[in-house]
Amino acid sequence: MRSALRWGPGAVLLSVPLVVALAGPWLAGEPDPRGVPYGSGALLGTDFVGRDVGEQVLLGGRTVVVVALAATVLAYLAGTPLGVLTAMTGRRWLDELLMRPLDLLLAIPSLLLLILLAAVAPSGALTLIVIVAVVNVPEVARISRAAALEIAARPAMEAMRLQGESRWRRAAGYVGRSMLRTLLADLGVRVVGALYLVATASFLGVGVPPDASDWAVMVDRNRTGMFLQPWAVLVPALLVVTLSVGLNLLFDGVRRHREEAA
Amino acid sequence: MAEPVSLPRYAVRRLLLGLAQIVAVTTLVFALTEALPGDAAVVLAGDVPDPERIERIRQELGLDRPAPVRYADWLLGLLRGDLGSSLTAGRPVTGFLAEAGGPTVQLAAITLLLLVPLAVAVGVVAAIREGRLLDRALTSAGIGLYSVPEFALAVVLVALFALRLGWFPPTAVGVGPNLLAQPAVLVLPLLVLLARPICSISRLVRAGMIDALRSDYVRHAHRLGLSTRRVRMAHALPNAVAPAVQQLARTTDWLLSGVITVEAVFVVPGLGTALVSAVSARDIPVIQGLALVFAATTVAVNLIADLVVFRLAPRAGGAA
Repeated sequence: MRSALRWGPGAVLLSVPLVVALAGPWLAGEPDPRGVPYGSGALLGTDFVGRDVGEQVLLGGRTVVVVALAATVLAYLAGTPLGVLTAMTGRRWLDELLMRPLDLLLAIPSLLLLILLAAVAPSGALTLIVIVAVVNVPEVARISRAAALEIAARPAMEAMRLQGESRWRRAAGYVGRSMLRTLLADLGVRVVGALYLVATASFLGVGVPPDASDWAVMVDRNRTGMFLQPWAVLVPALLVVTLSVGLNLLFDGVRRHREEAA
Repeated sequence: MAEPVSLPRYAVRRLLLGLAQIVAVTTLVFALTEALPGDAAVVLAGDVPDPERIERIRQELGLDRPAPVRYADWLLGLLRGDLGSSLTAGRPVTGFLAEAGGPTVQLAAITLLLLVPLAVAVGVVAAIREGRLLDRALTSAGIGLYSVPEFALAVVLVALFALRLGWFPPTAVGVGPNLLAQPAVLVLPLLVLLARPICSISRLVRAGMIDALRSDYVRHAHRLGLSTRRVRMAHALPNAVAPAVQQLARTTDWLLSGVITVEAVFVVPGLGTALVSAVSARDIPVIQGLALVFAATTVAVNLIADLVVFRLAPRAGGAA
């Protein structure tokens, strides 16, 4: 009962934007012919080019959610092996060679890095996924390295080495599995951070087409008509807010539940 | 810990690392801007791209020289305090930065001035009321707001307080570079900028304060008959803020992305706006100058925070 109270409110809050984002594109149906910009014909009016806002809302959540999740997964796929490798290699130069550049990368403000990288690459969802992943790799690698170092120092590792288990089996089989807990605890922060970056970048027009059906792009593009048609801005903005707040509350509830159980 | 490190030696080591970071950042930025498709000459040539004209502009701007030569040139200029000239506006980058820096520095400075007392106050109040309704309300609100994108929060606030209630202006259009001339303009941007850092810092202050209030020395101070107020403020609080100092440095990264977004939403002519337009205009000297300013600020703030923490708790700082 108490545990349900811990993560219940977050889950309820999160379910609204998540259902709209994931099921929306199926519910949206065929696009209507465009009406007048900032008109009040449809349920939520029309947007800056006369599209139905309600339909755009249904279409616009999927990219935000999918890009953020894919970027997080990619950051782990790249950062974790890097962290484990540097922690388990006996060679100090390799450790330094791989980790020092990442330290330097951490000194660059993430949005600055994102804007610069996005200016180089062609715009599109795939680009945004890769860039947000790149921005997150140094932190993931650092956390993985710290966790792997601690695990590699355990007596069990020494025992496996004496039994003649290969380095690869030790790294993937034991260290990798033992790290899962630490990485899962960090997962919430990563997803929420990726969501923040993806939404902010889209809002600034970085890496997305200017008329994309995307909640963040909608907020930016429809701002000029906010006096005439506030829903075109408010509905997507509130969906981004509930998505972020719900995710945070949910992850925090799960974290505290695990801590209490442990 | 092999050996104790003195503060000056630690400071020198951190300073060198900081310089290396700044050089690395400018090199990386230069390499990235090299990879940008098209250059300023194409942008300057306008709507009718005429290859001959583009080539002439390129020669005038010195863009035909190889990239390493231009980078070395830029570094040498930096030593003399010369960051080159904007390719599109033709003005010196330093003057450009000084002008755009005004509103940004005002926003950031006021945010920091308000942030520290507010975050400490929220954290201390929550810690003193640990487990009660007020603590739970503050903590939940803090966790919830922790990573709400600034633009979403900003437009919701604008819709409510500027359009619906009419208390504050919706943008800073027409105010000019000195935002302080019309303080009402600052209210909504500051609220947006403060939201995230307050959440993260007050959370750390709360945790530190709860630990400190349970510690032996606080119990001892109580036994000595010191007033509760004095124990909390003079003995527990200083120990509680040490972890928050480092988090404060981390939030400069957030403040920066917050500033870029807030400037875009409220139409403030600051460094963030300058960055977004310089990238789209391929104005490499300006991008370089801005990257330098942003990287140097991040590095400097982290350096100061590390030194303060080193001073507060030498063991923790020395190991980092």
